[in-house]
Amino acid sequence: MFTTSWHSVNLTANECIKCNICTSYCPVAEVTDRFPGPKYAGPQSERFRENGQPHSPDRSVDYCSGCRVCNEVCPTGVRIAEINARARAQMVAEHGIPLRNRLLGRNELLGRLGSLAPHLANRSLHNPVSRLLAEKVMGIARHAPLPRWSETGTLHHWLRRTAAHRRRAERKVVYFHGCATQYYEPFVGQAAVLVLEHLGYQVIVPPQNCCGLPLLSNGEFEAAERYHRGNVARLAGFAWAGYPIVGTSTSCTLTLKEEAPELLDRTDSGTLALKQATWDIFEFLRERAQAGELPTDFRPLGTDAEPLVLPYHAPCQYRAHRVGKPALEILSWIPGVAVRESLARCCGIAGTYGYKAEKYTIAMDVGQELFDFVRSQGPGVRLTACDSETCRWQLEHGTGIPSRHPIEVLAAAYGLYDLEGRRPVVE
Amino acid sequence: MRTIHTEILVIGGGATGTGVAWDAALRGFRTVLVEKRDLTHGTTGRYHGLLHSGGRYAVKDPQSARECIHENRVLRRTHTHCIEDTGGFFVVTPEDADSDYPDRFQQACREVGIPCVEIPVAEALRREPLLHPRIARVFQVPDAAADSFLATHATAQAARQEGAEIRIYHEVTRLLVEGGEGDRRVVGAQVQDLVRGEPVRILADMTINAAGAWAGQVARLAGIQVSIIPGKGVMLAASHRLVNTVINRCKMPSDGDIIVPIHTVAVIGTTDVKVADPEHLAIEPWEVRYMLEEADKLVPGFSRTRILRAWAGVRPLYQENAQGMESRDVTRALALLDHRERDGVAGFLTITGGKWTTFRLMAEKTLDRACAHLGVERPCRTAEIPVPGREQGPYWLGHRLHEVETAQLQGELVCECELVTRDMLVQAARFNPTVTLDDLRRDVRLGMGPCQGGFCTYRAVGILHELANEPPEAPTGDAQAWEVAHLQSPRQAARTPTPDKRSPSSAPRPRPSPVLERTHPMANPNLLLRDFLQERWKGVLPILWGQQLKQERLDQLLYLSLMNVDHLPDPELVSPMSDFYTRIPTAETEG
Amino acid sequence: MGTPAAGSPGRIPDLLVIGAGLAGLMAAQTGADAGLSVRVVAKGMGATHWAAGTVDVLGYLPTDDTPVHHPLEAVERLPEDHPYRRVGGAPRVARGLARFQELTQALKLPYVAREDGQNWWLPSPAGAPRPAYLAPQAQARGDLERKEPLLIVGFAGLRDFYPRLIAENLARQGIQARAASLPLNLLTPRRDVNTVQLARTLDRPDPVERLGRELRALARPGERIGLPAILGLERHLWTWHRLEAITEAPVFEIPTLPPSVPGIRLFQAWQRHLLAQGVRVEMGMAAIGFQAAGDRILWVETESAARPLRHRAGRFVLATGGILGGGIAAGPDGPAREVVFGLPLAVPTERRHWFRPRFLDPAGHPLFQGGVAVDPALRPVDPRTGQTIYTNLHAAGEILAGTDSIRERSLEGIALATGAAILPAAASP
Repeated sequence: MFTTSWHSVNLTANECIKCNICTSYCPVAEVTDRFPGPKYAGPQSERFRENGQPHSPDRSVDYCSGCRVCNEVCPTGVRIAEINARARAQMVAEHGIPLRNRLLGRNELLGRLGSLAPHLANRSLHNPVSRLLAEKVMGIARHAPLPRWSETGTLHHWLRRTAAHRRRAERKVVYFHGCATQYYEPFVGQAAVLVLEHLGYQVIVPPQNCCGLPLLSNGEFEAAERYHRGNVARLAGFAWAGYPIVGTSTSCTLTLKEEAPELLDRTDSGTLALKQATWDIFEFLRERAQAGELPTDFRPLGTDAEPLVLPYHAPCQYRAHRVGKPALEILSWIPGVAVRESLARCCGIAGTYGYKAEKYTIAMDVGQELFDFVRSQGPGVRLTACDSETCRWQLEHGTGIPSRHPIEVLAAAYGLYDLEGRRPVVE
Repeated sequence: MRTIHTEILVIGGGATGTGVAWDAALRGFRTVLVEKRDLTHGTTGRYHGLLHSGGRYAVKDPQSARECIHENRVLRRTHTHCIEDTGGFFVVTPEDADSDYPDRFQQACREVGIPCVEIPVAEALRREPLLHPRIARVFQVPDAAADSFLATHATAQAARQEGAEIRIYHEVTRLLVEGGEGDRRVVGAQVQDLVRGEPVRILADMTINAAGAWAGQVARLAGIQVSIIPGKGVMLAASHRLVNTVINRCKMPSDGDIIVPIHTVAVIGTTDVKVADPEHLAIEPWEVRYMLEEADKLVPGFSRTRILRAWAGVRPLYQENAQGMESRDVTRALALLDHRERDGVAGFLTITGGKWTTFRLMAEKTLDRACAHLGVERPCRTAEIPVPGREQGPYWLGHRLHEVETAQLQGELVCECELVTRDMLVQAARFNPTVTLDDLRRDVRLGMGPCQGGFCTYRAVGILHELANEPPEAPTGDAQAWEVAHLQSPRQAARTPTPDKRSPSSAPRPRPSPVLERTHPMANPNLLLRDFLQERWKGVLPILWGQQLKQERLDQLLYLSLMNVDHLPDPELVSPMSDFYTRIPTAETEG
Repeated sequence: MGTPAAGSPGRIPDLLVIGAGLAGLMAAQTGADAGLSVRVVAKGMGATHWAAGTVDVLGYLPTDDTPVHHPLEAVERLPEDHPYRRVGGAPRVARGLARFQELTQALKLPYVAREDGQNWWLPSPAGAPRPAYLAPQAQARGDLERKEPLLIVGFAGLRDFYPRLIAENLARQGIQARAASLPLNLLTPRRDVNTVQLARTLDRPDPVERLGRELRALARPGERIGLPAILGLERHLWTWHRLEAITEAPVFEIPTLPPSVPGIRLFQAWQRHLLAQGVRVEMGMAAIGFQAAGDRILWVETESAARPLRHRAGRFVLATGGILGGGIAAGPDGPAREVVFGLPLAVPTERRHWFRPRFLDPAGHPLFQGGVAVDPALRPVDPRTGQTIYTNLHAAGEILAGTDSIRERSLEGIALATGAAILPAAASP
């Protein structure tokens, strides 16, 4: 066991009573022999690991997608996914890391580079030849749903462009947009800003780093720690000042709240302050609603006879926040929307997992449960909703139906946003 | 009554007895070893697994210390695969900071010849982050962790391959003594085959009493008084390795001052209490509390982590005229009693005292004396010739997992906690006579992990039952051909052709082990099930709290509610071990 | 700034249930049946996932291990502090069981009772007859009091099921039974599968057809075919009926080591049923604290990634289970404790009185007989004074004091009977 301190998540392995409930719910173990299951890879193998052994004894842990379904169903509270993430980091430390994983871990860098010339980047990457080449040379699955760089500028471009229209107010929130919103889907951030402003907040969008999750998932803990320190340096001040830090990317917010502190064993006051100040945007909106502060000036998005049927999947990373499904609750009050809750375990993509050539098929097999659920909602489904960007891309890839962040739906319901065209209808 | 003739009869199947049998067989003697239970059932299987560097005895008992460091080097050569080179620290805790012991310790190590290096505290904490952060000094010595089950099996197998016969579940009921006053001679023993329920007479030129803490009882059968003080030591195992180095407290040896990382667990030991009966040992609440308190002084937090199990062993402490001594003060050096010289009884030697680390040396000295008695000169070869399995190289913690992974044996795991595959279990049961699942536990570590048999008891019973029901013509194992090292190796167990995978022509000579004989009472799966459940319960009872309590409650759900094992047929059947598992003595002493 | 819409989270649910085992689900169902708004939070999956999937009401008398044939008739012979007596005796127990049975019809996983009100005796995975009062249809088909001989079929390499052991033990108890084994690759090419994964495989037609054909060839006329409980997860009834149709023989299931396929079927179907009634069952939410004002609980807090989450409600049901479920914990020193509300427990305070030397002691172990003492409305009381502690907190299931439900085989019976009794007959939303 890589026990560095008594705070270590690894010690939760002691809670395991070997019941294999996690194995039964693990979507990856269900579709492949390559991953023997969370209990095996986590608390069980953990007793056989230590530093400096002749070999790192196990490799199958690399097939854990990190979806955290195991944590969710575990009756005794073992932090299985985190134990696995640490074991993977140990493997990386001993055996090095493939260039492909290094690249996939650097979402922020990729985003920034591509955004320098997004048209060119999209054209060079998103064509069959490049994708085939990327698969052969790099091991990036050629059919995997890679995102496109925004060709209308980043979120920060939009914020600068519309600075004059941004609300100034007494009450302030900090918005953590994450890399995907910044470089690929600025419209999600636009929707979030508009909704928060609709609630009467001034939205502060300070400079920020990648949360570090892609690096954590790929076992590059040292690089992740640099990002995390960067975020603490830039954001902890807001936390200390009492500003909520609200995010639309469920995996980024989870990382700020828990993954980075736990996996990196960080207990400094800045990390702690950031952790406690971070909110998923719908978790935040639900709090406001409970305080009676959520506007209900909704426009119907459909009719009673013909509602907008909206299959909604709460991503694994969202469920790992352990705050319930606030997005689902709030969407369900919008008139003319028929939210259909997915009980599927995982869409399969699990961050960068499904991008890897050797894991692409596993990811698609895992996602089948969700794709089937969406199809079972009938042919009239025009949109699905999901809080995580990579999951939305996978969902679109698996079903052929466009997917939206719930904040886009809410923004549309407030009349601030064009759900089809994915752009603000107000400045 | 069946009579067997041999040259050397060894009584006791612990480390010492098997070491004696090995040495004797290597010197060319026809040898029979009898053990009343399974190999290592006694003290050998109930210690913490420390291969001493000798550091512990350097100040107090330099002779013992010299023996230890010598044997430490020998066993690393001969029993390589049974030893994990963890290294050892002697740490000066805040409690002991003012003592002059550390300097004396360093000096004594130098004098005795134990490599001992003081290392910076920061370096020690980097290597062992859970160590007490306020330790004052750290000395590094060549302590190691030893698998006494495997080592004893390997030694016994080495003896077998030299022609020795190892008979387990054979209990000595009489020593055969001839001659009159002043000219008495032990000529062998009558033993009871506990499995078949029949007596066997074994006639021998030399009978060697290697019964450890039971040696006094054996000697008494020849009318000889040998006072052994059974010194009980209680140990607790934490559910994983909190440390990867043996941690000793640098002070005069006392209770609860060693933590040994052995296989997947970390063991804190021990207490030291004089007891009357070496067989049935009470583990008292104060002993458990005390071990945890002492462990916290080395690794703060030990007491809050999951404890798997508690057990007690007895040191076979011998000292002439030891009346009234505290057992800790009795020398840990070996004691070889020549009963011809001492008591006027020829043909009989007792070897006792000592410790696991010096078992080979004890055997050597015993056989030297036996040779002298028998008037032959045959040199000892045990220091040069390795036991079977050595080629596997030193033990490392992850090797089972590594093998399961590379050979993709995940679906074959029967005991998931300790990574025991079906093939490992089947081979152990085929080749090694098995009376209870506890015997298989010692062979392959079945049921030794966190769930303490919760899942694997049922699986093992189901598998053994299927094995017992195979057609009678199916050949079973030949003990001599048995690759004993494969007990610990998932990959090799899978590769070794089990008899049913071989072609009939190459099948080994059938030698059914008791569990496989269909008519045998031990073949009863319900008895196997009940015995092992009770055996595991006995060891968790003293530490049932926290996660282990939850685990036991799950076991109750499985075996009562789901399986209803308390209403299976044959509730009256007992094995030679049933009474041992059920008798749980309480309160003999006050702490 | 508008006001919260109807049905918004601004509205406080009537009932918050902590725990998603049978007791918690039954309490939630009872609330929903009464028209209350209900929410369920749980740390993880409950004992449904470990147990046989039957409803054991009372198998052996706690006093002397006598087999019980008429559990409901035996209720009055139980001690007064037994949960069955606490909720009002046999009629109330019967009511809870009846509601459950009716519900399982709706879930399309019908549980059946014997017509004469006696316990079923069904084959255990070790080959002992186990007493159950309600059984899923496919398990009830293994009724050991029927005379048709049994063919127990396992799969070579499936580590959690041993047909020979079962058949031989049954045969030694005068039940005609034999065993057979099929290759696991008949069902799946996988090298490493557990029972739940196999059950999902048997939701699909092809493996079912293949299995059916093999079984048909194996079975002799008049035999009943016993299989490990892996006959489908989502489409269990279809799989089971299909196998009976192909084999033209009665087919039954025998429960296996955990995870329990029959238990998971029930849990998942019930969870969906509750969801359809607007009751969400949220997993991964461990209750860690609460706030009370006087004798009323205001809210319960669950652990989350950043900060405790508050759950206000009108009433609360504590169904966190006993020691196994994690509702009761004990450290190396000090007494056992109830983990959410710190309720006083009716258990021996001293550790040396907790256990008996024999694991299978028919008298059981005193610690496991203890738990939370309650008043007739199932509200926790101080066991010394009998005083009710909180007026809007009820306890149900394994956490209750008064018996060792695993020992007497009443785990599910107590869960359902007490879960159904959390609302006093007179209570209205």
